[in-house]
Amino acid sequence: MSNFPVVCGFEGDYGFKVLMVDRSSTMDDVCAVAADLLAGVVVRPVAPTERLRVRLPDATEPLPPTLTVAEAGFIELETIEIYREPRVLAAVRNDA
Amino acid sequence: MALLNSEDWYDIARDTNWTPRYVSEQALFPKELSDVLEMPLELLETFDEPYKVTYRDYVKTQREKDVGAYSVKAALARSQMYENASPGWKALLQMHFGAVSFLEYHSVSAFARMTRFGRAPGMRNMATFGSLDEMRHAQVHLYFAYEYLAKSRTFDWAQKAPRTDNWVIISERHTFDDLEHTRDAISAAIMTNFAFETAFTNLQFIALSADAANCGDFSFSTMLQSIQSDEARHAQIGEPLLKMMIDSGRKAEAQKLIDISFWRCWKQFSALSGTCMDYYTPLDKREGSFKEFMNEWILDQFVAKLEDMGMEKPWYWDLLLEDIEVFHHAQQLGIYLYRPTEWWHPIAGTNPAERAWLEEKYPGWNDTFGQVWDVIIENIRAGRLDSTIPKTLPMLCNMHGLELTGVPGRKWNLKDHTLDYQGRRYHFQSVVDKWIFEQEPERYAGHLSLIDRVAQGIVAPDGVMEHMNMAPEEYGIEGTNYAWVEAYDDALTTRRATGT
Repeated sequence: MSNFPVVCGFEGDYGFKVLMVDRSSTMDDVCAVAADLLAGVVVRPVAPTERLRVRLPDATEPLPPTLTVAEAGFIELETIEIYREPRVLAAVRNDA
Repeated sequence: MALLNSEDWYDIARDTNWTPRYVSEQALFPKELSDVLEMPLELLETFDEPYKVTYRDYVKTQREKDVGAYSVKAALARSQMYENASPGWKALLQMHFGAVSFLEYHSVSAFARMTRFGRAPGMRNMATFGSLDEMRHAQVHLYFAYEYLAKSRTFDWAQKAPRTDNWVIISERHTFDDLEHTRDAISAAIMTNFAFETAFTNLQFIALSADAANCGDFSFSTMLQSIQSDEARHAQIGEPLLKMMIDSGRKAEAQKLIDISFWRCWKQFSALSGTCMDYYTPLDKREGSFKEFMNEWILDQFVAKLEDMGMEKPWYWDLLLEDIEVFHHAQQLGIYLYRPTEWWHPIAGTNPAERAWLEEKYPGWNDTFGQVWDVIIENIRAGRLDSTIPKTLPMLCNMHGLELTGVPGRKWNLKDHTLDYQGRRYHFQSVVDKWIFEQEPERYAGHLSLIDRVAQGIVAPDGVMEHMNMAPEEYGIEGTNYAWVEAYDDALTTRRATGT
């Protein structure tokens, strides 16, 4: 069972949630956990034209989708934001 | 035999200071328990309470109050008020008795501590009456809750709450232990009597009492009025002390105590009273919005009182005004979504008519909080009830202990104000919550929220309900059985029929 807690602010949500992930989880894995637990529950479902990204609070750029929690240097209860990005834009970034 | 008028003997009768011979003054009144700022004894002995009462008059008046409250209760015992009450009013009663009864009981010892360690004789006298007041409040709460027990087991929480680690109860304990129970007598009096009771008890006891009367719940209304009349008296312990602090050059210290206490109380009352007034009270019975009441009864009156005393508004006043618009709306969402973790049966309070009212009172509500409610409504209408309860834990603030929230929807604004202290990361909802921690980190640093306990492996994620001492039959359930959503179907049908 995943046992590494991160504090997740999902774009549009009213409050932070605690997600349990693994140190080896990639940012895409973290997004998948957030989508599974929160999209369609507290925020609208993720549309096929959108993909989720992880960024640190106040950062303008997302963290790379393949970056792991350990590689990002997260501590337990690290705060992250998860937001939607149009897949078109992700394609421009070459990480859609 | 002719009796002396009380003004002829009152001052000398309550002049109970003496010079100790067997122990030192310092041993009798340790500063940590009496007065950390060490105000001169000669100054403290000038304490002169604005509202004077003798024990004989006190007992007579209190007896009459009790007779009034219990008589109304007895007279209405067969009125079927509870059975006929709206689901929202039932939720309000269930929440109130679970959340407030133990606070009243704990306040007995808070006042008793002022009685023991206060160095001003007048203060000790008033605090003695305060302890007796709080005993009465605890008793009337427990008695009324016991009477409701036959109607709903949720009222068991009037007795059970303090012996649990339910997240709501942890939050309350953290707040009121800080203000009432872990400070010296003077600081506790400034924080409890001046900042808390002068500012906020009007909210819970006058506004709620008016709403109760409007809802036909006259026994609850009478109980609240009876309590508030005591609060108004013993709240006055704070004013003479505050004046002494100012006069002796301790204004900055007094201001900090007020600033901390006012914010901490604001968070508790916003979550407790704000949700009750704007969501639980039936729409046609509401006297006004929570914001309107805050502006009229709390902000205006408290600011006038502060200025009258020569004090300043708390430094975070602009942030408070912003918070009044949003905090309780976010808490209401969390309370509804995480309803199994609560002892009461929450309602949404967001049918189309109620939303129109919320939008009128809080312009922009539909674009923000309404966006999350839209997702919930969609799930209920589609029969996806499982999706109306999140399967992950909410983050809690390390100061107020409630959900760490912000503004959702199209104006999304969610900030986590973190602080790393002695190898641990703390999370705060606002700069004010963080500021309070920074004033005295060693006071707060050891505390573990429910989430901290999970993160540190003390509580397993699937063991949270057991840790909160909640048996499955005690889990909060939807107070209306989702009936409120039917109004959306009706509205949709009407729109389709009329082509609007």
